[in-house]
Amino acid sequence: MNLTSTQIGELMIQFILAGMGTLGFAVLFACPRRSLPFCALVGAVGWVIYELLIMLGINNAAAALLAVMPLTLLARIFAISRKAPVTIFLLSGIFALVPGAGIYYTAYYFIQNDNALALSTGINTFKIAVALAVGISLVLSIPLPGWKKQ
Amino acid sequence: MSSREPFPDEELRRRIMDFIMAAGQTLLENGAEVFRVQQTMEIMAKSFHLREFHVYVLTNGIFASAGTAEISEVRNVPTRTTHLGRVAAVNALSREIALRDMPLDEAERRLVQAQQIPFPKDWMQLVSGVCGSFCFSMIFGGSLKEGLVASVAGLSAIWYLLACDRKQLPGGFKKISCSALITLVCILLCNLLHSPASHAIIGSLMILTPGIAFTMGIRDFVQGDYLSGTIRMIDALLIAASIAIGTGLVLSFYTLIMGVTVA
Repeated sequence: MNLTSTQIGELMIQFILAGMGTLGFAVLFACPRRSLPFCALVGAVGWVIYELLIMLGINNAAAALLAVMPLTLLARIFAISRKAPVTIFLLSGIFALVPGAGIYYTAYYFIQNDNALALSTGINTFKIAVALAVGISLVLSIPLPGWKKQ
Repeated sequence: MSSREPFPDEELRRRIMDFIMAAGQTLLENGAEVFRVQQTMEIMAKSFHLREFHVYVLTNGIFASAGTAEISEVRNVPTRTTHLGRVAAVNALSREIALRDMPLDEAERRLVQAQQIPFPKDWMQLVSGVCGSFCFSMIFGGSLKEGLVASVAGLSAIWYLLACDRKQLPGGFKKISCSALITLVCILLCNLLHSPASHAIIGSLMILTPGIAFTMGIRDFVQGDYLSGTIRMIDALLIAASIAIGTGLVLSFYTLIMGVTVA
């Protein structure tokens, strides 16, 4: 794992941008004001791990799976320490990873009658979404200290 | 007479049921997951000693009965927004009900308070829309120019959505026209600044795209809620289609008039 200094700089910028972007959407989702910085942190961490894995040459579905796990774990830790539902941190945190653009491009190519491109984008989008969903479910079912079945 | 008596009479059972249904509806309307709504309602029923409480939650409806089906209620939840503050408030309420002996009156009052938590102020939504679309167009690999264009488009999109909400326009029209507006603003400004438009467009479209709905739909599948998952995924696909229609219209018109293709 050899990263050049430009790549590290790039990652730092991505971290800040992802944090700010997540913060923006957390406000739009009307998260409680005191949990906003934590939402931003969850989103930034998830995105930077994803970006790092992409830089290391891992394909994007696998990268999504590997990035969403630490993200969900962080969301759970914040949920326990802040006594708030995981949903708050999770929904706003995965915003950057979620394939919103992919679904849009799929529908767009479909409407533009570019069927081959629509199909390949669609399959790729679906893979990422499945990877995210599986990653979230896996981490949410791990018992953590301080975790009790309500 | 405490509201938390171990054997509530018929009148009280009915009130408890109404309270639990209202709490479930609040959670579902504001973006909580199906299984979490179900779990929260069951915990509340247990805390208030409502026996034989059974509930089935879908993405757009709640069905529940209590006792030997002497009380049964159905709630239709056609519209969903995302207001995580309300979800957090109801969650905190259910936690407190389980932990301490809160009377029903107080619980009902707290629920009404939770339902009335307002959305962020207009200017705050505008600022966060600008911030979100700027950051996402940069994240997706756009230049600084594209980021700036995206933030203008994001500003106009949020402003337009707020205006639509005030006039209570239907969702499909709102999505199609808003995505058309975003595309128009992005193309015109990018032409002015001589930069490609695609990253600016997708960055500000993130305000509308149903990525979370789609992912959560698959998560419902993983949890075994197949019907809820289907509802959510079809919803997400339809939203994506409306956005693509709006964008596609503007892009085709632009190609028709100017004779150049923009992506």
